[in-house]
Amino acid sequence: MSGFLRMPWLIAGNTVRELVRSKLLHNLLIFAVLLIASSMFVAQLTIGQWDRVILDLGLAAIELSGVLVAVLIGVSLVAGEVERRTVFPTLARPVTRGAFLLGRYLGLCAMLAVSVVLMLGVLAGVLRLAGYGLSSAATVAALLILLELALMAAAALLFGSFTTPILASAFSLSLFLIGHLLTDLKAFQQRSHSELAKAMTGVVYRVLPDLELLNVKSLASNELPVPHGLAPSAAVYGVAYAAALLVIAVSIFSRRDLK
Amino acid sequence: MASVSLHRVNASALARSSAPFAAVVVLAVCCALARARAERLSPTLAEGGFDIPAFPAEVVRPFSFGLRSMVSDLMFLQAIQVHGGRGSKMVTAQQGAREDRAMNRLLTYSTDLDPAFAGAYRFAGNAMPRQTTDGKVTNVLQAEALLSKGMRERPDDWHIPFTLGFLESYYLSRFEEAGRSFATAARLPGAPRYVGLLATRTLTEGGDLAFATQLAAAMADQATEESSQREWTERLQDLQMERDLREIEAAGARYAARTGQHAPSIAALVRAGELPGVPREPHGGFYLLGPDGQAKSTAKERLRIRGRNGTVAALEVQ
Repeated sequence: MSGFLRMPWLIAGNTVRELVRSKLLHNLLIFAVLLIASSMFVAQLTIGQWDRVILDLGLAAIELSGVLVAVLIGVSLVAGEVERRTVFPTLARPVTRGAFLLGRYLGLCAMLAVSVVLMLGVLAGVLRLAGYGLSSAATVAALLILLELALMAAAALLFGSFTTPILASAFSLSLFLIGHLLTDLKAFQQRSHSELAKAMTGVVYRVLPDLELLNVKSLASNELPVPHGLAPSAAVYGVAYAAALLVIAVSIFSRRDLK
Repeated sequence: MASVSLHRVNASALARSSAPFAAVVVLAVCCALARARAERLSPTLAEGGFDIPAFPAEVVRPFSFGLRSMVSDLMFLQAIQVHGGRGSKMVTAQQGAREDRAMNRLLTYSTDLDPAFAGAYRFAGNAMPRQTTDGKVTNVLQAEALLSKGMRERPDDWHIPFTLGFLESYYLSRFEEAGRSFATAARLPGAPRYVGLLATRTLTEGGDLAFATQLAAAMADQATEESSQREWTERLQDLQMERDLREIEAAGARYAARTGQHAPSIAALVRAGELPGVPREPHGGFYLLGPDGQAKSTAKERLRIRGRNGTVAALEVQ
């Protein structure tokens, strides 16, 4: 492995080992697994539509717990370490700040991927118990949720690179909420009569991440096919956006005075 | 003396250690009593039970932050609880009005949040209409509106136009519209064969023989199985028979209007110039003209459906 990638890789491995012991991660995962399992009981309340209710609750649990993991742990990995000053021993070694941030991000993404696969497995098991299978649309929905989580993790690292953990968490969660409102912002832009409002909403729409592009849960639960080409395009969008956030985060963190 | 002192110390320690437990018990009792009293005193809402949130669906949809499908499920589950709460006992329209309203509001809300929720439309069509003890049937028009919306939003689901066709024929006696709804359902993937046959029968009842024939011809063309092709060819013959019988009855009516009496036979109609010739019965039988002016075939019954006219004719649709 080249020297450029060796250090982030080592830090990523260390981050994974650290996160495996994280009580917060364990608690969030247990919460999500219980929520998915309880969907079986909620489905008892319905007449038909069992699979839809189980799938909706399951995918919602994967997304919500994943966002909490990405944001809360993502923030603690950089902003928390800076605040606790535990980042200094690492940075005292021949490790660039960019490699540190990249390593932390890769480690967190690896844990997010493991979590999503684990929760998807539980969801598939619950569906199997109810006599249904996991559709390809549901699998695509889960993969796009993973990309959304990777994007949120990058946002958490970005905000964590220049502010306190509490503010970084608040900013990241706000970005998640705004990201799901952007479609309506676009509709507002189209209906607005003010040129200024149109221009401003246009800029906001282009700059902020449109997380609804990564949301095909509704298609999966309605047993509708994901439109051809949507998933790859959305995936490229999610990866590119997360990479852009990381570049900005590295740039800010490299210049930050940590004293 | 020493023993008494030790006993006092023990009692004091026991009292100290059990004090928190006693305090919790006392507080729990206080909570229970206060809660019961507060519940008694709190005003009850006129429209209690299950209902939609205070915000319109247009607001909740974006603010569900990508989880609108799940919020839609919650509304759907509430509608099912309202339906289950009705029980099997029939009540008057007035007594069940609150549940009727709640079901309509919840299902409309659910489908506003997730317009592609096919299950909610199907449930609306099957569960919303309610027969009452005072000779009415409620929530039919609301269910019809929901199903029409479902046809627009889920044009791939045959159950939705099928259920709409049922409501239109059974409760509303709109056979032509019902036939068209059944025809839409019959053309969708997954629809059983009987839906198309039902469509042609209903269209015949409604009077649109041309559309029924068109549908039957198209279905016969598309049929890949031999048995299915035979069924549709037979249905085309039924429709031809119906067309012949209507021509005979129309000729009979003209004859009666001209002469003041019913024609004694089909041959008499031909002789009088009201019919160009005796039509050939497609099933191999022959036609008869009754003394009341009604024509029939000796081979087969006419295509008719027994809907609301036969079973629930007296019900007033609300």
